[in-house]
Amino acid sequence: MRFLHVLPLVPGHNGGGGLIPRGTRVEVFSEIYWVFLWLGALVGVVVVGYMLYVAYEYRHDGEVDDDGDRPSLGELPTGGGKGGKLFLSLGLSAVIVVSLIAWTYGTLLYVEGDSPVEGEDHLTVGVVGYQFGWTFTYPNGHNTTTLRVPEDRAVQLRVTSRDVFHNFGIPGLKVKSDAIPGQRTNTWFIADEPGEYTAKCYELCGVGHSYMQATVVVMPEAEYEAWYANTMADGANESNTSAATTPGDTTAALGGVPA
Amino acid sequence: MSNADADGPDDTRTEGTPRADGAGAVAGELAEPDHDHEFPGMGSIRRWFVTTNHKDVGILYVVTSLFFLLFGGVLALLIRTQLWVPGGTVLDGLAYNQAVSAHGLIMVFWFLSPFAFGIANYVIPLQIGAKDLAFPRLNALSYWLYLFSGLLLMVSFFQGASFSGGWTMYAPLNVPVYTPHIGASTAILALTMFTASVTVGSVNFITTIHRMRAPGLTMWNLPLFTWSILLTVWMMLFAFAALLAALVILSSDRLLGTTYFAAQSAGGSLLWAHLFWFFGHPEVYIVFFPALGAMAEVFQTFTGRRLVGRKYFIGAMLLVAIQSFMVWMHHMFLTSINLEIKTLFMATTIGISLPFDLMVFALIYTMLKGDIRFETPFLFAFGGLVLFILGGITGVFLGAVVLDYEFRGTYWVVAHFHYVMVGGVTGLIAAIYYWFPKMTGKLYDEFLGKVNFVLYFVGFNLLYFPMFLAWETPRRVFDYRPEYIPWHRLSTVGAFLLGLSFLVLIYNLYISYLDGADADGNPWKYATTAEWAVPSPPPLENFDGLPSYEDGNLTFRSESAGRGGEAAADGGRTDTPRSADGGAVVTAPETGVVAKTSHEEHASHASIWPFVAGAASFVVLVGLSGLQQGSFPSGAAGGFYAGTTLVGGGLLLYGFVRMAAERFHGPTMAMAERWPFAGVDNMKTGMWVFLASDVVLFGAFIGSYVFIRVAEGWTNWHHLIPADHVVLPGLINTYLLLTSSFAVVLALVFAERNNRLGVVASLIATVGLGVGFLINKALEWNHLFHVHSEAFPNGWELSTNVASSTFYLTTGLHGAHVTVGLIIALYMIVRAWNGAYLDDEAPIEQFGLYWHFVDIVWLFLFPLFYIL
Repeated sequence: MRFLHVLPLVPGHNGGGGLIPRGTRVEVFSEIYWVFLWLGALVGVVVVGYMLYVAYEYRHDGEVDDDGDRPSLGELPTGGGKGGKLFLSLGLSAVIVVSLIAWTYGTLLYVEGDSPVEGEDHLTVGVVGYQFGWTFTYPNGHNTTTLRVPEDRAVQLRVTSRDVFHNFGIPGLKVKSDAIPGQRTNTWFIADEPGEYTAKCYELCGVGHSYMQATVVVMPEAEYEAWYANTMADGANESNTSAATTPGDTTAALGGVPA
Repeated sequence: MSNADADGPDDTRTEGTPRADGAGAVAGELAEPDHDHEFPGMGSIRRWFVTTNHKDVGILYVVTSLFFLLFGGVLALLIRTQLWVPGGTVLDGLAYNQAVSAHGLIMVFWFLSPFAFGIANYVIPLQIGAKDLAFPRLNALSYWLYLFSGLLLMVSFFQGASFSGGWTMYAPLNVPVYTPHIGASTAILALTMFTASVTVGSVNFITTIHRMRAPGLTMWNLPLFTWSILLTVWMMLFAFAALLAALVILSSDRLLGTTYFAAQSAGGSLLWAHLFWFFGHPEVYIVFFPALGAMAEVFQTFTGRRLVGRKYFIGAMLLVAIQSFMVWMHHMFLTSINLEIKTLFMATTIGISLPFDLMVFALIYTMLKGDIRFETPFLFAFGGLVLFILGGITGVFLGAVVLDYEFRGTYWVVAHFHYVMVGGVTGLIAAIYYWFPKMTGKLYDEFLGKVNFVLYFVGFNLLYFPMFLAWETPRRVFDYRPEYIPWHRLSTVGAFLLGLSFLVLIYNLYISYLDGADADGNPWKYATTAEWAVPSPPPLENFDGLPSYEDGNLTFRSESAGRGGEAAADGGRTDTPRSADGGAVVTAPETGVVAKTSHEEHASHASIWPFVAGAASFVVLVGLSGLQQGSFPSGAAGGFYAGTTLVGGGLLLYGFVRMAAERFHGPTMAMAERWPFAGVDNMKTGMWVFLASDVVLFGAFIGSYVFIRVAEGWTNWHHLIPADHVVLPGLINTYLLLTSSFAVVLALVFAERNNRLGVVASLIATVGLGVGFLINKALEWNHLFHVHSEAFPNGWELSTNVASSTFYLTTGLHGAHVTVGLIIALYMIVRAWNGAYLDDEAPIEQFGLYWHFVDIVWLFLFPLFYIL
């Protein structure tokens, strides 16, 4: 299954069509990751292979060394010359690296701006991290410790923390965001396969960090609607730290994501 | 050599200093008689406590850092043992968190750089043709501060628990509300002390490398290892100043009750991230660069080829050093910074990978047409390059922001940075094998070296490569998905193998030192740099004669021949061997006299005061760790901490006074390359360099204030400040300081005119005005502490809100600088009374530089905290 994602340059293969990977977070990550992996492995093999070859080729093998231009003790350093090959290699690697990054920049714009949550029918859930668990707040005010989301619909997460610096991530859905006290971060995902996933904490937050998890349930749309209808503003439990309704985001001095 | 004729018979100038009784200053004999002829041999224990010689200090650093490597390594093995089973139970949550935090802190701070600088200490003066570093006692001080800071870290484990918030110490986990144990504060203080060690060291190395190079050894001609160390210390100077700011603020939050990082502060958590990573990113290059320089030298020596594109290589290193300060937000891609900033830092991050590409290729192409010998140093250098390449490739993944979104906080990051950083360690192992014969006069065992390498390389990859395969495991978490068990177990096995390889290394070094074959001056066929032109190990003052490259090759000139006509060597003032190390003014003979013997500037090599200062710092910081909300708790424990602080503080003051009064002759070079500090002497250079780091320190504090104030709302800020906080006290203080600066200028003028009483009077005026400043401040603060208004019923104290915290800590830091200056000035008054500074007014000038700097800082603080 994974190998299909090796061919991202096939037009129309990915969600948005064309060169820039679009689609769910999983698809987007997968395509970029596998390109990087293959290219990275290739570069690694070529460079290290070349190194090993050269080292073998020019090893000292006991024969008389007829190169009279060896370094001697006390000499002032000289250039060693041959800048040409150097700049050719540098140029080539620069082209590879810069192109790769430029390619991912398109996806960055997609994820950050021109993404499924803009103006579409999406679900917004507030996420609050605390030592050592997560609570989720729905638009109707309902709080829960299990994140239930509909399949195939964009879900926007507005993440914060009520104590220390945490990080909320659902590895199975390839979505992640820092949970910073006093700040709000935004991210989104689309789940295209129903099932149960685990959310974990990805920033050391205290003695319970290893156990700080939550369950994420992706449900078919109808099932989700049924569940949601039954909840309503269940104000009994969690305190008023529902991230989705807290006004007045603070904005970091060096540029923050507006509320 | 008695004191009375230490000047030599030709010295006829009058000196106010009471030389006859050998005393430097204060009534009685504070200054020590010349100990040089009593410098103990290598076998004596006392030698190692008093030595200031760079070679000894280098060995101290190397040996000590290997102990810390073992501590950090054991912690790593504990971590890996815990990870043998998902949800491992070897350690509980708090213990595990301490293990990962201490592992990171120890390896990054207490092992990597000190190990590199041990080698650098030994090798750099030899490579550049100097007899020692510019400030030998400060060099020893750096070492003792390092050792004692590490001991302080060890102590922290016994005070409840050590720090458990990761080596990254994120806020607000780092404040007592979330990490309450005293040991956590002690660990922070230990790191702060370490930062002091680094700052002293960087000032020393910068001054040395710029000002003490043999004639003909221009900057471009410097050996690559020296270049890498030079850039490392420049980065250290600025980066560690930012870290110091972060640590001082954190210590203040923990011990004094300020509220910078507490969750109430809107910007607190992000402020820490910025401060820490602004330091943190240059730091990773700081730990890597020495290895890079060493690898370049090893590649040259063992391939028998000069480095390809040498000038570009140097340029690339320079570029990286500068760019390292422009990428830090790539550690913060998932915070609330905006898209434009993320894009900018994505670009700068990719930008910084390009000079590294150039350097990697330069090393590879150097092998072409070589005559490569696969001896142990080259095996490790070659292996290190391979590992660095693999690590670097995986770093590109992290630079792509959309990928970083998933890699954040996972083992991909862990695997990446271990590949590059431990790849650096590999280069440093190459370095220690390479320079071992020079340092010990023995050859290491080549077979054991190869065993070391094989175990190391296999263990390394077995340990770190599976981390890429199990990359989805979250960091600092010991529970993971069962399908990753095989990978984690492979890693654990690899960890033990890697650990074993280090034992082989240490064994090899040890047994070879005791029993190895003798090494001559140059055991390597194609080595070129100056350290290989002297015996192994070198004599105490390194060279027989004065090294020079002026003829295009290394030659040694006789001491007297080198002395003629030196005035024009660099167009700057000729160094006279006076107060080169800032000790009591030693008016040794002018160097113009050609017929002097080599004893005329007999350099000192021993002083106990660096050790005393280091030990005293340890004591005072143990004491300070007991502070809570600005005071010591009542009861026995509180009494212990308070008492310890007092004792340590007193000892520290005493040690510094003795060190200042001591007669110590640092090394001088009559002729040297000095770019770009040709017109100033070592002391002034050192002072300027130190002040540059102080600028960054205050810059970070001011930046923190601005950041938090913007986060709270710039104009909202006024609601956090009582009406009683008015401009007048600040204004008065401004006038007091400015006048005191003028008084210092007067002191300098009087000294130049040989007016003893004038000097004393102006210094007294300076101190008086400075004391006035402090009293005025105390009155102001006292008034604010006791404000009783509707908004502030309990006064406006350090812990009241962020406005009070930033106000008190920033102006308090400045006040501490004033206090230190006054202590120095008091010392100078006593010495001036006894006639010092009339012949050599340089110390007044240097003090003046510091004092004017402190005043200029106030000119920034005053508008920020009183007017705006």
